[in-house]
Amino acid sequence: MKGILKVTGRDPEQAIRDLCAGWLRSDRLAAVLVPAWSKSGAALLALITDPEKMADISPLLPAMAVNAASVVHQLARSGTLTQPVGLLLRPCELRAVVELIKLRQVLPDNLVLIGVDCAGTYKAAGFRNIRGDDADFANKHVRDQKALAGNPNFRLACQLCEHSQPLASDLAIGWLGMNPDKELWVAAATDKGRALLDGMEIVAGDEPEPRQKALAALVERRRASAATRIAELDTVMMGPENLVRYFAECLNCHNCMRVCPVCYCHECFFDSATFERDIAEQVHLAQRKGLTRMPSETLLFHLTRMNHMMTSCVQCGICEDSCPAGIGLTLLFKKVSLNAQAEFDYVSGRSLDEPLPLTTFREDEFQTIGESRP
Amino acid sequence: MADFEPRIVGFLCNWCTYAGADLAGTSRMQYPPNMRPIRVMCSGAVDSVYILRALLEGADAVFIGGCHPGDCHYVSGNYKARRRMVLFNSIMKSVGLDDDRVWLRWISAAEGRKFADTVTELTARIRDKGPSQFQRLWEV
Repeated sequence: MKGILKVTGRDPEQAIRDLCAGWLRSDRLAAVLVPAWSKSGAALLALITDPEKMADISPLLPAMAVNAASVVHQLARSGTLTQPVGLLLRPCELRAVVELIKLRQVLPDNLVLIGVDCAGTYKAAGFRNIRGDDADFANKHVRDQKALAGNPNFRLACQLCEHSQPLASDLAIGWLGMNPDKELWVAAATDKGRALLDGMEIVAGDEPEPRQKALAALVERRRASAATRIAELDTVMMGPENLVRYFAECLNCHNCMRVCPVCYCHECFFDSATFERDIAEQVHLAQRKGLTRMPSETLLFHLTRMNHMMTSCVQCGICEDSCPAGIGLTLLFKKVSLNAQAEFDYVSGRSLDEPLPLTTFREDEFQTIGESRP
Repeated sequence: MADFEPRIVGFLCNWCTYAGADLAGTSRMQYPPNMRPIRVMCSGAVDSVYILRALLEGADAVFIGGCHPGDCHYVSGNYKARRRMVLFNSIMKSVGLDDDRVWLRWISAAEGRKFADTVTELTARIRDKGPSQFQRLWEV
């Protein structure tokens, strides 16, 4: 089922709030996880159960504090609910949820994936200064779409993002290429999604052409930006010396790992006893080169992390937002993950049916690996 | 460079390549002594962290030996190792590191000659390339 949802009062956010309230009142959903603007002035996520409190959620809020998939990981490791919980989230967040479902870290049975278009977000830290007390900020953001594709104040990951519409979801809600003051695009891809649209006033139809064109133009522009930025990155990052310099200021805090939505291990190998060395061992290790960096083995951490999760990286850039040393992880991970996923013709979060690249194999593939090169 | 002796860390699968190395030895085949073998139960058990640690600490190359595709004693460990190698190579290329310093080869328990020849070939290749740059970089 797909078509147009009418918006009244030039308030697309309210239209989405009304949808959520309807789902909660009809017990189709027990709760909805959704972006919110708190009274204290912070961009947060809310798990909302009370349809009377919809004023506090802000489904179109263009600010990101965490990738919500990290929260979903915490929320849905196990399931005894009888009614499902809706995840009304951005495309990169749902893509990470899809990866976590495939990694068997999130139980999908009790979840309904509701994706909303996103053309970019601001960093949550400092966003209150950008938003001010403008209650219509989110609506203005989706209303004036011309400036979105090249907005230099968005988080870098967003400036380079080509997945502005949800990839795999039960229900998709779209505003890009629409006139969101008057209408939103809705498309249900599964029975769960169709159940949410049941009884709603939807004018059935195909995706409007202006929307298709707007999305295609956005992808083209963002791909070009990403290619330019990656070419710049290559001049300062490639090779042993440059790579060491790129990570030189790493504090070994592991924040990038902790906030990463797809870095799912409950205990990271790098936090394990393996890396708790006594002083004799540290001195022994230093003797190999005559001196060693302390804290030690930071580049080992980053390169190993790449090997462990690059096939699931959704390029959300939340790692860079959390880095106290300001290391350019967004661009580096964008490049490394896109190359890695291309090897397996895989796109993180594209589909629940595609197996994770490292959990499957074919006998008749990659047959030059393991043979001598000329 | 004349007295450069490559230091190569080898991870050899217990069932095939380690036995192949043993056969090379008991058959008194000559090959360069530059590889330090570490016996592992399966090429699929070699996590990237072990390869990377060896390289960053200054090993000139890493060698991984496994059973031929189809012959894995755990059915599919080497197929998984192969996929992981594709990923590893891709990441090495993306960050500008030399993926030709990490070799994965299939050598069976009967292939003592292939083992000796492979170690000879790898040692010669690394001799040509020169020492790993990470030996000079202490801030890794």
